[in-house]
Amino acid sequence: MFKVYLGFVCIYFFLIGVSNSFWDIRVSFSLTPAACRSIKMVLEKKSSARVEAGQRRVLDEATRQRRLTRQLEALEKDNFQDDPLSSLPPPGPTARLPAFSETEEPEKKRRKTRGDHFKQRFRKNFTTLLEEENLSERAEPNYLSAAAPPSSLPPRLFCCVCGFPSHYTCTTCGGRYCSSRCLLTHRETRCLKWTL
Amino acid sequence: MATLVLDNGAYWAKIGYSQDKVSVIPNCQFRSKTSRLKTFTANQLDEIKDPSGLFYILPFQKGYLVNWDVQRKVWDHLFGKEMFKVEFPDTSIIITEPYFNFSSIQESMNEILFEEYQFQSALRINAGSLGAHHYFTTKPSELCCLLVDSGFSFTHIVPYCRSKKLKEGIRRINVGGKLLTNHLKEIISYRQLHVMDETYVINQVKEDVCYVSQQFYKDMEIAQMKGEENTVMRDYVLPDFSAIKKGFCKPQEEMVFSGKYKTGEQTLRLANERFAVPEMLFHPSDIGIQEMGIPEAIADSVQSLPEEMHPHFYQNIVLTGGNSLFPGFRERLEAELRSLVPAHLPVNVFLPENPVCYSWEGGKLLAHSPDYDEMVVMREDYEENGHIVCEEKFDI
Repeated sequence: MFKVYLGFVCIYFFLIGVSNSFWDIRVSFSLTPAACRSIKMVLEKKSSARVEAGQRRVLDEATRQRRLTRQLEALEKDNFQDDPLSSLPPPGPTARLPAFSETEEPEKKRRKTRGDHFKQRFRKNFTTLLEEENLSERAEPNYLSAAAPPSSLPPRLFCCVCGFPSHYTCTTCGGRYCSSRCLLTHRETRCLKWTL
Repeated sequence: MATLVLDNGAYWAKIGYSQDKVSVIPNCQFRSKTSRLKTFTANQLDEIKDPSGLFYILPFQKGYLVNWDVQRKVWDHLFGKEMFKVEFPDTSIIITEPYFNFSSIQESMNEILFEEYQFQSALRINAGSLGAHHYFTTKPSELCCLLVDSGFSFTHIVPYCRSKKLKEGIRRINVGGKLLTNHLKEIISYRQLHVMDETYVINQVKEDVCYVSQQFYKDMEIAQMKGEENTVMRDYVLPDFSAIKKGFCKPQEEMVFSGKYKTGEQTLRLANERFAVPEMLFHPSDIGIQEMGIPEAIADSVQSLPEEMHPHFYQNIVLTGGNSLFPGFRERLEAELRSLVPAHLPVNVFLPENPVCYSWEGGKLLAHSPDYDEMVVMREDYEENGHIVCEEKFDI
């Protein structure tokens, strides 16, 4: 970084010497103000994407693995928002209750006992059912053996910001990036945001 | 006696009488932010005027039926007066289940079909078996086929020999349409616009705009170019449900590459997401899932079977399920398999015109076949003998 800056400064003075005039430096080197600003920005940006060696926090492998599993589990969710019905207050005594007719009641009663029984039995979630199956005791092939094995090809790595192929890894969290601009975005937005 | 064929999928339920056509109906309940008190079941989705932020209540979790409350409500609606008007004592039902379905779920299914709905007879079968039946009926000379069922929850690769599935060759990849949509939502939310709540809209985006690329790295390079040269990039107009009811992809001629559009519509600019998302079916390791993709799993599955069957399987690969509708899926799969399979074995991948309903059509053919009556379990049998008779007769 410093070397680049030095290089620019050298070019400045060299050209001034060559032109042999006492004009304003900017005019002789014909740098527009915009170019000045962009060089300044690039230098500043590069220095801000770097984190000081003492301040940088590096996540260990276990934490990185936990983050990855949490991301993958989030991909399995059905909904990311809350149930619109759950935010409503429960219907109080002022709510209109439908009047049951006499003929409907015996049917409802029969259905109700059945329904309650079903509800108790059928409220289990997937992991509970899987454990109940006790598949390690059963003969192969079964649900667990049918899972596809890991791939023999190496994984392809993509920048977590723009999605194009990446060649570099963020030293703190292990996320991939493709260019310094993406690294800056990554550091500002995602890097250590949801770490346990 | 009518036969009702129900392909009970995790996302779509394909249902119809065996003499009629199939109807594809969402197999879940919806709740909307605007009409909060009402829960919409199955095809009542069309009544919702504002499907933004639609809340899905799916009876399936990871591909297996766990929430019977919701499933029964959906079935009540489908079998009831508004839809199929099923006369239970006279109807026989063919219903599909996922592979290696848990015994507790199978027993609950038996109870619900026979004791609650009281169908006259029932046949529980894997969806792929119906697809294989369809294939063997249309091509009677083939002995074996390899069915690739890429659906909402996962993808299964199942070898069938003489209409019987070979269990040791079944492979399951936990990548399905749900994962692709959720991943697309995440990357759009990070890069452009917060859409994490909009499953319905982004699912439509995925179906309209995503495709499977034939040369991945080349397409990546094209997608990185700027301006007119970037033939991959597309703008997608999001629906606002007042003027624009349904989102659509802007055709290439109308695209404006610099500056904003004159009309006030919200657009998404999609470049590499178009083909990077379906790429997950071929390389789940792209996002960190430690499993092989579809081509490798096919090779692995066939490898585990006897040597003399290999040519038969590679020549008869059938694609079913919603994910096979991506443009370019069949060609890409064939190309990848060709590089994995030994050179002397011919590879042939068959994509039917309607992969989503292919299994349902197989069920229709099965209902009309002469051995159908021996395959079903009658309600009287079940009431006498219980779950044992179903366990022996049905091969799930």
